[in-house]
Amino acid sequence: MKKYIEIALIEISHLTRSPFKIISILFYMIAVIYGCQNGYNLFKKHNNEIMSIKADYEESIEKMLVKYEEIENGTLNKSRRDPTTPYWAIWNTPSYAFKYPSSMMVFSLGQSEQYGYYKRVTNWSSTFDNDLAEEIANPERLAMGTLDFNFVLIYLTPILLIILLFNIGGLEKDLNFDNLIYVNNISKKNWLLSRFSFYFVLLNIILFLLLIPYGLLAAVFQNEAISFLKLSLLILIYNLIWFLIFYLINYWGKNSPDHAIKMISTWLVFCIIIPGAFHQVASLKYSTNYMTDYLDVSRDQRYGIFDLPADTIQSKLLKIFPKLQNTIYAADTSLNKSIVDKSISGLVNVLNKEVVKKIEKSNDDKNKFVKSYFILNPVVYFQNKINSFTKTDYYAYRSYRKYIQSIIDKKIDLILVDTWNNVNVNKGKYIQYVKIFN
Amino acid sequence: MVNIIINEWKILLRNRAIMYITTVFVLSLIAIVWIGIFQNNNQKDIQLSAQKHIRNQWDNLKPMNPHRAAHYGSYVFKPVSVLNSLDDGISGITGNVLKLEGHIQNEIVYSEASQSISISKFGKLKSSLVLQYVIPLFLIFLAFSSISSEKQTGRLKLLIFQGISLFKLIFSKSISIWLYGVFLLFITITIQALFSTIDSETIQRLIFIFISYSCYYFIISCLTTYFSSAFKNNTSALSSILAIWILWTIFLPKIWGNAVEKIYPLPSRQNFKSIMKEDRAKGIDGHNPSDQRREQLKNKYLVEYNVDSLKQLPINFDGIVMQADEEYGNLVWDKHFGNNYSIFQKQKRLYQISGLLNPFSSLQNLSMGFCGNDMIHHLDFLKKAEEYRRYLVKSLNDKHAFGGSKTGNWKWSADNTFFRSVEKFEYKTPTIGDQIGHYVIDIFFLLFWVMITTLLIRLYINKNILL
Repeated sequence: MKKYIEIALIEISHLTRSPFKIISILFYMIAVIYGCQNGYNLFKKHNNEIMSIKADYEESIEKMLVKYEEIENGTLNKSRRDPTTPYWAIWNTPSYAFKYPSSMMVFSLGQSEQYGYYKRVTNWSSTFDNDLAEEIANPERLAMGTLDFNFVLIYLTPILLIILLFNIGGLEKDLNFDNLIYVNNISKKNWLLSRFSFYFVLLNIILFLLLIPYGLLAAVFQNEAISFLKLSLLILIYNLIWFLIFYLINYWGKNSPDHAIKMISTWLVFCIIIPGAFHQVASLKYSTNYMTDYLDVSRDQRYGIFDLPADTIQSKLLKIFPKLQNTIYAADTSLNKSIVDKSISGLVNVLNKEVVKKIEKSNDDKNKFVKSYFILNPVVYFQNKINSFTKTDYYAYRSYRKYIQSIIDKKIDLILVDTWNNVNVNKGKYIQYVKIFN
Repeated sequence: MVNIIINEWKILLRNRAIMYITTVFVLSLIAIVWIGIFQNNNQKDIQLSAQKHIRNQWDNLKPMNPHRAAHYGSYVFKPVSVLNSLDDGISGITGNVLKLEGHIQNEIVYSEASQSISISKFGKLKSSLVLQYVIPLFLIFLAFSSISSEKQTGRLKLLIFQGISLFKLIFSKSISIWLYGVFLLFITITIQALFSTIDSETIQRLIFIFISYSCYYFIISCLTTYFSSAFKNNTSALSSILAIWILWTIFLPKIWGNAVEKIYPLPSRQNFKSIMKEDRAKGIDGHNPSDQRREQLKNKYLVEYNVDSLKQLPINFDGIVMQADEEYGNLVWDKHFGNNYSIFQKQKRLYQISGLLNPFSSLQNLSMGFCGNDMIHHLDFLKKAEEYRRYLVKSLNDKHAFGGSKTGNWKWSADNTFFRSVEKFEYKTPTIGDQIGHYVIDIFFLLFWVMITTLLIRLYINKNILL
């Protein structure tokens, strides 16, 4: 055992004598730092943007409060959009749905650049509105992707390992003195293992030494300690898998060029060809959705509801929202078109929710298909797992859409109940609304 | 030189492993191109049927007020280019659906990337993926020992003693390896041309693609052969060229791509929207009757028609106001989106300059550009869609103003014949002849690298390798 520990330690001098490998390690370290810095920058940017939106809407709340005071004092006439009615009061209650970035975002940007992370929610909103588009960005840069830690780990780590390991055991074969080693009562298996272990330990030490400062900077250990532990474990497993593959290549290989060719081909197959093939098959099986069902709801079916007679709309509302039957307006036998018109968004929301369910299901089917082949496509599994730890994957944004929907539902509920109960909104009631949505 | 190339090919053809690999390559390329075309046609059908569906809805509009129709709006779907099956460029991450309506200029939404979990970071397995990543790597594997092996076995000296110059020998070996890449490229392009419906424009684009990839393969072949001759052994040659390959294909594109966005930053969406809103508020508010600028416009029309009130006007003033509002909005759009587009162009140009250090980025730019799937083509589509939006809204506002209704009569409806008479949106991808100017930098750097690598072999071959 001692002999093998010595072999591993001797590897330090091998490494230091190879400037090519040292430079590669330095490049790799720069890439890790650069990747984490990119993540940290986006994390800060999202937080700052959210803070700035919040500051803006606090200003608008102040303005509304002054307006209510003026109406109550009689110094201001009610406008066309009368804020004393629940409909316009709730319309003027700023309610934003934010997707707060997870501190873990420093380690992976995931799909965060493909989705919006803030949205002004109204009773007319839906979870596929135009204003949920992603941030303005150069599409070619987006297509290339950002160099974040996830990318460095998943794609560059194997490359660093190829550079570090391709001539481990290969050099001896190149110079034809490999048998000299084994005659010294050293097993080939353990000899290679000791040398590989050195690089395994070195790589992981480098990674964790670089990750911890960024973890501290983004308060990961206070907010997401468990996720960080999971990420750490995943890093170890991922690295171990590549070490194992490269170990087998070196064990069975002929010489250094043979190792290098096999290693880079393995990388190419697992990191580019297989994910690319699954991507192609997935888009063949599940073509890009042009969302025509959703467009139909947001336009034709919506206009269809607008064209319905008020009494039909009213009876539909009573059927879908049975609690309205206990309201003051429901007890009244006369038809109030203004109340009915203000309630239409309730019916549109039902249609929106139905079609969204369909869209989410079709996306889920595609995801299920991709996930069902993770065993053949392990690199994409690790990539998505990291995205899920950092809450930057598809599912994190689906949860965000669900959260938006819950605010829409709450708005509609309040509008319906308060409008049908003829509630008069004053400053106090408005403050209540503000509290509900913030 | 020709004899050496023929001889090299004979050796190559005698090697069973190479023959197997070539067969696998050819079959894979045929399959990949065919699947790409199949997927492309499938996507195209879906896009066309979505566009038809939306147009049908428009054609079947029941009589309604033109302004209501402007709010109803229309949708355009980003078309799929013929060569999308070869290189889909940015089409997977850009949106596909754009709503065109009055008052608002929406953004294109619903990208493919947002409809699932993350799959491949390097894109789908299309021909471009094989042509850009796999074949160059294979050329490296073929070339890295081409000279060093001859050196180690002493064959190099024998060849030189037969009277051939060292340059010719090394260059011929590079050319024979390059021809192998060109052979695979030729197969890919031919299958692409055979299986898809192509016109002269597509043929032109395919020729450009063929030339671009050929240049890149030449660079890779020459550089690898040079390294093979410059280094003492295979290991050093291979590790050096692999390091360059990694730097070119993985590192530099990402790092430079991120850097250009930092050098020419784009506004945040929130900022952009609030500035646009501010500027828009300075114009006429079509829906606000107490607006001051509306008053000025009203007075202008009253004088023009020599009447005292809006009711006396033979036209519908509401339509006039809506169009004035729209035209002001267009100016605001031109200013702000124009500014964004100009930032995009600056970013693109700066990214193209990275071709000086990285011919791979020039190749990538040219590949997606010639396939019609780069930012230049995307922005062109958005501009044409906006032009159509302006045409659509103006047609509706003009109908509202001059169609026979009077001011304030919001119940007046235009009939279905009018809606049918509004032309549909038809997008034609710009010809490569018109767009080639955007790619001059990439072409220049690719040719620059061809020259550099040739000169490298011509001028910097160390004669000591014979010793």
